[in-house]
Amino acid sequence: MKEKTIIRFSILIYWTFFWGLSVIDKIIPDVHHLWVGKDFFALFIKFFGSLGLKDPLFATIALALISGLEVINFVFYLISFINFAKGKEAHTEKWFFRAILSSITLFGLFSIGDQVFGDRFQLLEHGLFWLILIASWALFKFISPSNNKGFSFGPKKGIQLALIVGVIITTASSISIIDFSNRTFSNVDSAVEGEEVVSGVYKFNFPFLADKIVWEKTINKFKTTHPDLKINYIYTGPSELNSKKKTHLLLYVFTDK
Amino acid sequence: MFSKIDKDISRSQLIRYSILIYWSLFWLLNIIDKIIGGSHFLWVGRDRFAQFQKFFASAGLESPFIADFALSVAAALEGFAFVFFIGALFKLFKNKVEDCRSWFFIGISLTLATFTIFSIGDHIFGDRFELLEHTLFWFLTLFSWVVFNRLEHKSDEQAKVKDKRQFFGAAIVALVLIGITSLSIFNYNTDFFSRRTDALAAEQIGEDIYKVSFPFLGGSTVFEKSIRKFKKEHPSKMINHIYTVPKPLRLKKADGLIFYIVTEDRP
Repeated sequence: MKEKTIIRFSILIYWTFFWGLSVIDKIIPDVHHLWVGKDFFALFIKFFGSLGLKDPLFATIALALISGLEVINFVFYLISFINFAKGKEAHTEKWFFRAILSSITLFGLFSIGDQVFGDRFQLLEHGLFWLILIASWALFKFISPSNNKGFSFGPKKGIQLALIVGVIITTASSISIIDFSNRTFSNVDSAVEGEEVVSGVYKFNFPFLADKIVWEKTINKFKTTHPDLKINYIYTGPSELNSKKKTHLLLYVFTDK
Repeated sequence: MFSKIDKDISRSQLIRYSILIYWSLFWLLNIIDKIIGGSHFLWVGRDRFAQFQKFFASAGLESPFIADFALSVAAALEGFAFVFFIGALFKLFKNKVEDCRSWFFIGISLTLATFTIFSIGDHIFGDRFELLEHTLFWFLTLFSWVVFNRLEHKSDEQAKVKDKRQFFGAAIVALVLIGITSLSIFNYNTDFFSRRTDALAAEQIGEDIYKVSFPFLGGSTVFEKSIRKFKKEHPSKMINHIYTVPKPLRLKKADGLIFYIVTEDRP
C-alpha cells in the first residue's frame, strides 16, 4: 500500500463512520444497552421552544429534515468508499466531493440555526467541523503525487526493536491499568468516609468512579455510624471549591445533635 | 546565537523536529498517564479508567474487564505510535530522510486510527464535546503529515540580514518586560497568597441571610474556615441552608464564588 492510499482510506473511513453513526443515533432514540447517544429530540424541542414554537411538530420536522440530510451524507461517503475499495479513482473523487458538499451544506445550516438560537459554543463546534471537512477535501483531492510512495524503514533491526519496545510499553500499560482497576473499582459502590472539618460539619471527597449509589450508601453509613447526629443540610461543593482537580465531587453534611 | 542555529539546521528542519517532538511527547505523556494511574505528588493526570468505566457502564457494560480491555487497546495504539514517532526522530537526526518519512507515516497512521476509534466511541456514548476534541486532533494529525512532507525537500535560502542591533534591542525589551512581570507576580504572591487559606467574613444582607464572597484563589480550605468562623461568631444560629449563586447571576466578570448562608435561631 502507498501513503496516498492509506491517507485517503483514513479520511473516507472517518467520515463514513461519522455520518453512519450520526444516522444510527437518530434511528435509536434514548439510551439502550450498548448505545447511549445524544438526545437530539430534546435539544431541538428546547431550541424551538426558546423561539416560541412550542408545538413538538416543528422540532420533529426539523430533526427529520436534518436526519434526511445526514442519511444523504452517509450514502455519499459509503458509495465513495465502495468505489475506493474497487480502485475506481475517478468515481471515488466524484462521490467524495458530493459527500463533502452535502456535509458542509449541513454544517452551514447548523451554523445558521446556532445563530438563530444564540448558541455560540455550538456555532464554534459546527464552524470547526465545517473547516475540517473542507480541509479533508483539499487533502483528499490535492495529495501531492510525491506522497504516493512506498515504505522504507531502514535496517530490519530497527523495526524489530520498535516492535519489541511497543509490546513492552503495551504490556506495562496493561498491567498498570488492570492493577489500577483492581485497586479502585470498589469505588463504584463503596461508601465514602467523611471527615469532620468544622464542628458538626463533615466533608466527603467523592472519587471519580462514584455515582448516586455511592451517595446513598455514604449517607446511610453516616447515619448508622452517627446515630446521635441529625442531618439538617447537605451542601454540594461547587467546582470553584474543588480547586485541586483530584476530587470528583465535594459534599458537606451539616449536622446537629 | 540564532544565526548559528540557522547555519546548522534549516528552518524547515526545525519545524520538522518540532512536529516529531510534539507527537512523541504527546503519546509518551499519555502512556505515562496510563502507567501511573490516579493522582500522585507531581502528577495529576486524568483518571481514564473511571472515564472508560462510566462510559461502558452507561451503555450497560458494567464489568471492569471491558474498560480494562478498551484502555489496553488504546494504550497499545498509543505505545506503538510513540515508538514510531521516536524512531522517526532518530532517523531525522541521522539524516535518513526516506526512513524518517516511513516511520513518521506509521506513527501518523496509528494516531489517525486511535482518534477514529475514539470518535466512534464518542458517537456511541453521546459525548459531543469529546467528538469535537478528537476530530480536531484527527485533523491536526493529517495536517502535521502534510506539513512534515511539504518541508521534506525545502532548503530555504535564508536572507542574510544583519540584525544584531534588533536582536540586542529585542533582548533588552524582553528582559525589562520579564523583570516587570516577575516583580508584579512575586508581589501579588506576597500580598495575596493568604487568600488561599484565610477565612472570609460573612456579611449580613437580610434577616438570617449572610453573604460570603470568595476571591478567585479560595478553595475548600477557605470554605471550611469561613464556616468555622461563622459558627464561632454566631453561636445562637443554626445553618439550615447554603445557597450558591449560579454563574449567570454573577454579573461582574470579576465575581468569584458567592454563597449565602441561611440560618435560623437555635431552639
